[in-house]
Amino acid sequence: MRVIVADDSALFRAGLVRVLQSEGFEVVGQARTADELYALLATEQASLVILDIHMPPTQTNEGLIAARQIRRQYPDLGVLLLSQYVESHHALELLSQSPDRVGYLLKDRVADVDEFFDAVSRVASGGSAIDPLVVSRLLARKRAGDLVDDLTDRERSVLALMAEGRSNDAIATELRISRKTLETHIGTIYSKLGLEPTGGEHRRVLAVLSYLRSS
Amino acid sequence: MIALRRSIQVAVPALVVLVCVSDLLSPSQQSVPLWLYALNYIVPGAAFAIAGLVAWSLRPANHMGLLMMAVGVGLLIGAAGILTPVSPLARTISEFLRLRVGHPSDYLFLALGPLWAVVILHLLLAFPSGRLGARLSRGLVAALYVFVPLISLIGLSVPFEVGLGSWLQIGYTTVRSVVYQTCFAVGFVLIMKRWVQGGRARRRSLSPVLWSLAPLSVAFLTPTLEGVLQQVIGVPDAGPLVDSTNAVALASPLFLIVLPIGFLVGLLRSGLDMTSVASLVVRLSSGLLPEQLQPALAKALHDPSLEVAYWVPALESFADLNGRRVELPGPDSERAASILDGAASPVAALVYDSSLRHEPQLVETAAAAVRMALENAGLQAQLKAQLEEVRQSRARLVEAGQRERQQVERDLHDGAQQQLVALLLALQATRAEAAQYGDKRTAAMLGANIAALKQALVELRELARGIHPSILTEAGLVAAIQSLGERCPIPVQLDAEYSDRLPSHLEATLYFVTAEAITNAVKHSGGGRIQISLRRRSGIVALDVCDDGKGGADLAAGTGLRGLSDRVAAVGGQLTVKSHHAGGTTIHSEIPCA
Repeated sequence: MRVIVADDSALFRAGLVRVLQSEGFEVVGQARTADELYALLATEQASLVILDIHMPPTQTNEGLIAARQIRRQYPDLGVLLLSQYVESHHALELLSQSPDRVGYLLKDRVADVDEFFDAVSRVASGGSAIDPLVVSRLLARKRAGDLVDDLTDRERSVLALMAEGRSNDAIATELRISRKTLETHIGTIYSKLGLEPTGGEHRRVLAVLSYLRSS
Repeated sequence: MIALRRSIQVAVPALVVLVCVSDLLSPSQQSVPLWLYALNYIVPGAAFAIAGLVAWSLRPANHMGLLMMAVGVGLLIGAAGILTPVSPLARTISEFLRLRVGHPSDYLFLALGPLWAVVILHLLLAFPSGRLGARLSRGLVAALYVFVPLISLIGLSVPFEVGLGSWLQIGYTTVRSVVYQTCFAVGFVLIMKRWVQGGRARRRSLSPVLWSLAPLSVAFLTPTLEGVLQQVIGVPDAGPLVDSTNAVALASPLFLIVLPIGFLVGLLRSGLDMTSVASLVVRLSSGLLPEQLQPALAKALHDPSLEVAYWVPALESFADLNGRRVELPGPDSERAASILDGAASPVAALVYDSSLRHEPQLVETAAAAVRMALENAGLQAQLKAQLEEVRQSRARLVEAGQRERQQVERDLHDGAQQQLVALLLALQATRAEAAQYGDKRTAAMLGANIAALKQALVELRELARGIHPSILTEAGLVAAIQSLGERCPIPVQLDAEYSDRLPSHLEATLYFVTAEAITNAVKHSGGGRIQISLRRRSGIVALDVCDDGKGGADLAAGTGLRGLSDRVAAVGGQLTVKSHHAGGTTIHSEIPCA
């Protein structure tokens, strides 16, 4: 798979490129800024861009802006945002731009090779990947009279994995349950939380995250 | 004006000398009664003229001196009229005046002569400022100025001898005396009213005048008022009166001799001037605008020409409020100046009529009051400027502090954090390699190091976040508060009415207030939930952080809340704490935001 990497830290870029190459990815370009990234995209054919949310010149949210731009200009291109911090705000903004082919992970995840490449492949194949930290933080809040409290532990696990953007197959495998059982759980979760079933596994991430974030 | 003053200063004493000499020169024995009679006019006339001259030279701005001189001149002219038959000099004066008046009647100047009585009333009512205050006083005096010459002329022109009947003469005399009595009674009431209403200072200056009126009132009351009034006004009737045995009535103008002295003493007591200076002090202490200072001072010192000049260091000179240079008068000038000295340089100068030199105490008192007011105003302005400087420097300090925090966070982010993550990746790669080559021990050791490094990264991240959360810069206050809420162990409900960005230092202030308030609520309140509301209306951002805990938070007690309050105050806002036992705590912050 052809990948473009954008990050202003040369050290991190080198580490990331090595990890990607060791897993057989072809890094077709490296950029330090959003402008360099746009230039690369114009010349290089790629199926995934991995970029830092902070880039020059303002070091604030260039990555988010670039992600929006790329999603508009190259709809088939997957965008995986990496950051030193993860915030539900950014996750939702990214997902609401377009809920597919996007990912938002903590930079540290790159070191957890299996998890990272699972997320990469989800984004590349049209799904989404939201950092577990974002989801667990939202789920950890105990809210008075919260409907989430009515869920069983198993249902909460299913909800968390759905919010991370995993597919049904992945969730079933992870939790070692049958697809049928999983679908039952999902049905129960939806009815307990009063959520409307959304079309497709990719689309539900935004709905679930929005629900969890609304307070 | 100066020429006129000089000529009056020469003419009045000249007239006094002339009339006195003419009196002494009266030759015949036959003229003795007439001579005695004239003395009645000459002595008080001279007294009034001289006292008036003294008063006028001491207080040129005050009309009292001129009015007193007018009385003196009137009396002296009356004396000249009386002595006309016997004294050639008096005759010359009379002839001169008659020529000037150019009237067919020999007695016209005598008709105007009695006006001195009205002027005395005018003096009494205008004492000591020289101005007639009340409308009633002004009306009365004006009416008498018209009525007295008129009635004298009527008296002169009615041909009594031809015999229109003695009833006509009686009627005329009665009407005249009733009018005079009424007028003088009203005048007396007006003076008494001023005595009664006046304060100590006014009474102090009025009392010599009232005392000096006492002999005159004796003359008025005995034996008949009508006789006295005839005496006062009716010079044409002098003939029969001279023969009269009514000695008291005869001596009545002589009683007037005390009055000019009373006026002079009263005037010199300066009671009212001190009162007006005192009221100036009161006005100054209640805060006077710079443009009001000069008129107030001019009024207090009775010098309309008074100027206040301010020292302008840049010009090395005094200037008025409009910035025009003011030169201080020299020692021989008609003007004089008092300089109000400040700590290092003069503060201001008062430039006034040189006649005020005779009142150094008054000027000094007024100047001291003005200096105090100016110094006070200067100190206030200085204090305000310092306060503003302190406020601005505090705001700058807080802003600089926040910038530094942001920079530290960014440095951590771009430096240590990036490098540690890169190191993490490198360690990960090394471990993978070790595992690949079957070195399980190395791989396990590296695995432990990786786990420790991850933990270090988490802690470093939290530290950096505490210094300055990047979400605040990236997405603004609402997102940052929401993020705080997501990390909070108790539910946080955020009700934000707006989401647009504020200036970064305001966002940072409100963020840290929220963070600290949430921490306090979690640690101390024992409450189960936190409610945050953020509103923006008419230039103010209002933040409320409420918990449902046990309350008891006090702004004065804890350093944490104090620090928050200082932080909010540094950006011009205000923080209040409402905390009731068992009623929860609300921390309310308001920050101005255009």
